Amino acid sequence: MSELAIRRGAAPALAVEGLSYSYPRGAAQGGDAPKRALEDVSLEVAPGEFVLLAGRSASGKSTLLKAACGLVPHFHGGEIEGEVRVAEIDALAAGPGELAAAVGYLAQDPETQVVSTTVAAEIELPLEMRGDSPADRARAVEEVALALAIPHLLDRAVDTLSGGELQRVALAAALVTRPRLILLDEPTSQLDPVAGDELIWLLRRLNEEWGVAVLLAEHRLERCLAAADRVVAMEAGRIGFDGPAAEFLTWSHLSDAALSTPAARLFSLAGIDPLPVGVRDARQTLRGTGVAHPPHIASRRVRDPRPTESVLKAKNLWVELDRGEELRDVLRGIDLEVRPGERIALMGRNGAGKSTLLRAAAGLHEPVVGKVDVESIALLTQNPGDYLVRERVGDELPGDDGMAALRLVGLEHAVDADPRDLSGGERQRLALAIALAGRMEGEQPPAVVALDEPTRGMDRARKDDLVALIQGLAGGVDLVTHEVTKSTGAAAVVATHDVEFAAAFAERVVLLGEGVVIADGPMEEILSGGWYFATEVARVLDLPGVVTPEQGAAALRGELG
Amino acid sequence: MRSPFAYRPRRGPLQDASPGAAVAYLGAIVVVAFLYLNPLVLLSAGAAATSAGILAGARGAVRAALRMGLSLALLVAVVNALVTSRGETVVARLGHWPLLGRVDVTLEAIVAGASYGLLAAATIVAFAVYSACVDPDRVLRALRPLAGRSALTATLVSRLVPVAAADAARLRDAAALRGPGAAPVGKAPLARRLLAGSLDRAVDVAATLELRGYSLDAPCARSRRDRSRYDRRFYLVAAIVLVTAVAGKLAGADDFQAYPTVEIGFGPATLAVAAVVTLSGLAPLRRGPKRQIQSADGTKRLSQGDKSARRRSRLDRSARRGGVARV
Repeated sequence: MSELAIRRGAAPALAVEGLSYSYPRGAAQGGDAPKRALEDVSLEVAPGEFVLLAGRSASGKSTLLKAACGLVPHFHGGEIEGEVRVAEIDALAAGPGELAAAVGYLAQDPETQVVSTTVAAEIELPLEMRGDSPADRARAVEEVALALAIPHLLDRAVDTLSGGELQRVALAAALVTRPRLILLDEPTSQLDPVAGDELIWLLRRLNEEWGVAVLLAEHRLERCLAAADRVVAMEAGRIGFDGPAAEFLTWSHLSDAALSTPAARLFSLAGIDPLPVGVRDARQTLRGTGVAHPPHIASRRVRDPRPTESVLKAKNLWVELDRGEELRDVLRGIDLEVRPGERIALMGRNGAGKSTLLRAAAGLHEPVVGKVDVESIALLTQNPGDYLVRERVGDELPGDDGMAALRLVGLEHAVDADPRDLSGGERQRLALAIALAGRMEGEQPPAVVALDEPTRGMDRARKDDLVALIQGLAGGVDLVTHEVTKSTGAAAVVATHDVEFAAAFAERVVLLGEGVVIADGPMEEILSGGWYFATEVARVLDLPGVVTPEQGAAALRGELG
Repeated sequence: MRSPFAYRPRRGPLQDASPGAAVAYLGAIVVVAFLYLNPLVLLSAGAAATSAGILAGARGAVRAALRMGLSLALLVAVVNALVTSRGETVVARLGHWPLLGRVDVTLEAIVAGASYGLLAAATIVAFAVYSACVDPDRVLRALRPLAGRSALTATLVSRLVPVAAADAARLRDAAALRGPGAAPVGKAPLARRLLAGSLDRAVDVAATLELRGYSLDAPCARSRRDRSRYDRRFYLVAAIVLVTAVAGKLAGADDFQAYPTVEIGFGPATLAVAAVVTLSGLAPLRRGPKRQIQSADGTKRLSQGDKSARRRSRLDRSARRGGVARV
């Protein structure tokens, strides 16, 4: 097919036919990976189409994206069967370099996707490799920078950028060759809700204006379902569903509830059809059924029976850090008290100071002014793998203290296992046990357990497990029997961008902005009172105190009844 | 935390200069340091590198390099004083030491060690200024047509060094956060973990390079003309420094002898070389724009430099207020 025909969109942006693939022995992608990463996958993405790739962790989403850009099998090796064509180029014959002109790829971690020192050089590199003239390169860099609203970053060093900025730069480098297809592997997993939404709508705009076909793998479906033309769901390396978003919700409701969105669960619990693909769709449906304004259910304020003393107290806390260009006050006079057994979600934009607050509480940062007092704290940072340095779980956690910590997180059975053979969730529990060991009193956790962004790259099933773990640590649920208990355990302080996760585990939300506390209150109040830091159900119903599908369904049933 | 030696994009003559010009200029200072042992000339090389860094805005890099270089110079001087017993001026008799035997500290050994230490310090400062002011992307771009594979290796290394530094900081934090009941992490397991992580990182970065088309046998892209208006200045200064240094060396400007007694030459040739090398440190000085302004009597004259511009501005402001400016 001629180049002109391909440009005009006659050929599919991506055509996959009967694709099966296995990673080389010993190189499976994590402990969750099946033996065959892809099994007889057939898929076509039309020019200018926006396709959402859904599925649980290790279902084959990332492998499919890597096959579409040539990294599989050219870079990773392994055994492959079938056919992959990108804009009429045979991806199994051509390498990633040859495909670079037709396809752009953006992975989850932006840190490893930049190879130059400055932003301008990073964006220009693919054009330089292609042999474009200096004038063409300058124009393309300028245009893509304008399209992504990053011209002000062009002269910056890449190691001074925030996660969101770095993700945009990596996207610019992937788009600068004007590819026909862009592949994105959970690009919003490290972004706050504001930056995540901005990225999704930026993709939609590029998709509409530039005609770039988009294949986007995501776990937080509620964020991007409304932007997608079509959804493809992967199940254990196979395609389980391929169709419009509305039909996908019906399919996921029947086949895999973990892939359902909060708004769809809300409608399903309330018995309303059809299931909505987004907030706007849900509101329209509600208007049609005459329940546009369900009655406000006053949240019952029960007296908290917990003791009033604090296990963590920050008073006028100022922390200064070197952020590359200059020293900056990351925390600016934080006052915060945490009581025993509280479950707190620490939220805010990237760079708001969430991690710094946790690190200051754990003693990793010295305050320049003020102080933070904490009885005892175990902090799990963003990368649980950093805690795992030995090849046997028992060697990481020797003795009685180690066994007590393993029992607390439900991993006593894995004492002889190699940490690398554990699933992602188990590795996270093991890392938490390492932070807890020796800080417990008998079988009781320390006064404060802090987790920093624990849900990155997690599907909903794993998030539900984490919610149970946090509730168990805080004394709400027995970790073994999963029964509700009355005892007060550790205060759980979790820094997270994931609003739905926060709604699932937290009872209190502390919202940080530019190093100061801008809101602090009951979870239902904070997560229903805004737009970005609000759950999908809260955005659909706009009712104070209604944030979860269960609460929303109760409100709707009250109206319908 | 960012390394003080990391490149920071700034505007300035040294940063704007092409990699060749910047390397020639800073290289000339390093060559002087390696050609001479006369402490005066070595001090002037160090001063040149320091002032170049400060004028280029790399104060942090210069400060860190001076700390490192002077510590090293002190160490070399101390070690040389302890292990070398040549020299006639004994300043301390430290008796009999295991392995070293009888230790007599001489002034000559201290001066000789300090001289080598100065050489190291001047070199470290020059490299720190290079690292903080010369864009590695431009250097690699210049290298690529000459040595593609070396440029690829250099690209990987230049990217992986800061990433590995960040990984090491994270691993140290995780080690500090381990509970007291967990097995302690020694340096060896931490280093092994860092190495394993670095290999994974290298694979990721290599995959990104592959996706950017690094492996393509594409026609070599015409490089942007990386020349700047400052290139001539730096090439000229480098040439003057090198010619002066070589000529001075031939004329006996490197007049220095540590043993048996210290003799440091301060002859005209040495002083001339030291003066030229010291002045070369002013090369990154940014000149203010030349402007043609019209004076009150209608004659045109050239004004130069920020100072006079500020002065004019003060006069203008004062005139608007109707007052008299103190000049």
